[in-house]
Amino acid sequence: MSQSLSVPASQERGAASPTAMSDRWFSILLIVPAMLVILVFALLPLAYALDVSFRFADLTRGRIGDFVGLDNYRAVLHDRAFWSSVGVTLKFTLTAVTLEMVLGIAIAFLIHGATAGKGIIRSLMILPLATSAAVTGLFWRYLYDTQFGLINHFLGLVGLPEPNWLGDYTIALWSVILFDVWQWTPFVALIALAGLQALPKEPFEAAELDGASTFRVLRTLTFPMLKPVLFLVLVLRTIDSVRLYDAVAVLTRGGPGTVTETMTFYLYRTGLKLFRMDYASTMAIFFLYAMLVASLFALRPLLTQFSSRASEG
Amino acid sequence: MKSMLKKGLLAAALMASTAPAAMAQECADADRVPITWSTIAGFYTDAMAELVSGFEAGHCVKVNVVNIDNSQLYNKQVIEMVGQTGAYDVVTLETSEKAEFAENGFILPMTEYFADKKAQLDDVAPTLAALTTQYKDDVWGLPYYTYTAGYIYRADLFDDPTEKEAFKKRFNYDLAVPTTWAQHRDIAEFFTRKAGETLKGEKLTKDFYGVGLMAGPFPEIQDEMSGVLWSQGADWLTDEGKVPVDAVEKAMNDYLELVKYAPPAALTVTYDGVMNQMKDGQIAQTYSFFLDQWPNAVQTETSVAGAKMGVAEAPEKKAYIGGFLLAVSASSAHPKEAMDFVAHIGGHDAQMEFAKAGGTSTLMSVLSDPAFAAPESRGKTGHFSTLLEIFDSMKGFRSNLFDTPFGAKIYNTMQIPLQSAAAGQISARQAAEQLAVEVEKICGGPCPIGK
Repeated sequence: MSQSLSVPASQERGAASPTAMSDRWFSILLIVPAMLVILVFALLPLAYALDVSFRFADLTRGRIGDFVGLDNYRAVLHDRAFWSSVGVTLKFTLTAVTLEMVLGIAIAFLIHGATAGKGIIRSLMILPLATSAAVTGLFWRYLYDTQFGLINHFLGLVGLPEPNWLGDYTIALWSVILFDVWQWTPFVALIALAGLQALPKEPFEAAELDGASTFRVLRTLTFPMLKPVLFLVLVLRTIDSVRLYDAVAVLTRGGPGTVTETMTFYLYRTGLKLFRMDYASTMAIFFLYAMLVASLFALRPLLTQFSSRASEG
Repeated sequence: MKSMLKKGLLAAALMASTAPAAMAQECADADRVPITWSTIAGFYTDAMAELVSGFEAGHCVKVNVVNIDNSQLYNKQVIEMVGQTGAYDVVTLETSEKAEFAENGFILPMTEYFADKKAQLDDVAPTLAALTTQYKDDVWGLPYYTYTAGYIYRADLFDDPTEKEAFKKRFNYDLAVPTTWAQHRDIAEFFTRKAGETLKGEKLTKDFYGVGLMAGPFPEIQDEMSGVLWSQGADWLTDEGKVPVDAVEKAMNDYLELVKYAPPAALTVTYDGVMNQMKDGQIAQTYSFFLDQWPNAVQTETSVAGAKMGVAEAPEKKAYIGGFLLAVSASSAHPKEAMDFVAHIGGHDAQMEFAKAGGTSTLMSVLSDPAFAAPESRGKTGHFSTLLEIFDSMKGFRSNLFDTPFGAKIYNTMQIPLQSAAAGQISARQAAEQLAVEVEKICGGPCPIGK
């Protein structure tokens, strides 16, 4: 009986309409539009940049020139300005992201523990994020102004030294970092706060009943449970900091000299001031490669965690 | 017969003279030939709009003005020229960009166009014309605005008996408009004072500085230094197309000497910052400074009690000769109309209007017009007579920086080592050597000079 009711697998496949689409093809069809966008706006330009990086390409001489092999890669690797910009980028990223993470998490805890005004604080914290760095950068340039800036005005009122925030080469990069910290710490704080608010209450109540100290709760419960969220924020901030351009363009234009010239700003100067698209493309390829490798290493634990959660679900 | 001929000629002349106006009247908006002019945002935009209207009234043309921030103008124009997009019919070029645009075929020569308009061409101040319009025996457009440099100072300080006496006692010569850079340095040192000291017998409430400098991360630092370098008989590029390291080092060292007497903000500002310092009563004089800023500088007389401004040639009679050149894009769909527009904006009538609005004209006939020398015009055109003197002093001058097709790229790069040195990050020698390396990299060896 059971045999008569069961349909052989081959017959089942044959029974499907010849025009029906398999799940596999249907899922491929669904991602085609997104893939097309990526192809046109990311992969083709990338392939073009890769091609240009192996050619002589001085745009002001009118055209993309002959194949020059690895000459551009050699030139970039021997370019002191390029390595200097890499150094500036790393220094900026390490400092800014560390400060943003520490301050952002601390602020998130403070807001989480607050009994009133959470909504207003959250709204205010969105303000720096909601405005573009080009606009806020201009605002900060005036704040930093040595002669007419508010910061030095107040420092002068209390008798403190009035630094040349953007003109002194020993502190110019720190001024850019301070601006970035002002703009992006709220981002870290808001995400961390959302993470904190989403944590289950039961383990914390149990820990309280067991008389666990605050430090122990933080070490064994809060941070391990927040880890995926914090890690994601860390990766996002790092990627964004490495790409830093707008704040530098508005605040210092890479100066004094080149002390605040990041990789992206140097790339812009090479590509759109000197019009050496060959060097600029080569730098962009280096940049992309470094970012890919770093992202793969950074995201691997997170992706593993997400996949294991998905399979558990 | 003779009277008929006379009448005919008269009628023809009348028709010719009224033709543009009649044409404009007859011209429907839909028939107007569209041309686009890319220009600098914020530089007398309102006055320019008037001039454009004047052109449209006489020609069946519609001019679209695209205002672009000065820092992005060069990049944007190059991209459109390389792509041959035809987006801009008329482009605005800095002096150092002319050779690059001409050499690469981005702009059209206007030599033939001006063949029967020689008088108009000859009216452009010859020194300015040589540097801004000419390259390899061709004329490439007309400059419509000059920011040639000179010297702006607080004349009231120079006239003050107390200050004069103190200066004479300290330096053993009279306080006067400097004729050498050494005197200029002395004056800068003399007037640099701390809050609490006196100036013109009055106690200062804030620090006062001897000189305003444009040492920020902008190309203006090399404009300031150009006059000093040129007065030493050197140039940014030798005839062999190389940077004269020793001469640049010397000019840089002279500049570093002055940084000591400039407000700390000098390291972040350009010309507008210097003007703010002047109007705020912080500085006594400029270095080699753009004279088109005179209408701005003269406002110090109202913002600072007792201030009286003066303008003169830069010491040693050498200064940056700069002008915005209007040229016609090679990819223009309407080159004839575009050339007419260039001739109009750079022509006498439009330049007269421009000068009345406070713009700094490029034409000898306008600069020397007695109306602009009248005392009531001083606030807007008080610098015109000085400009004439500068053009006369620098007659026949040419710079290799403006005659190399790599001039624009060099111009966009040289500020970096120069500003590094001004900020104290590297020495003058290192700056000069870095500049030499960068220039060689840009040109791929010695730079070609296309005189």
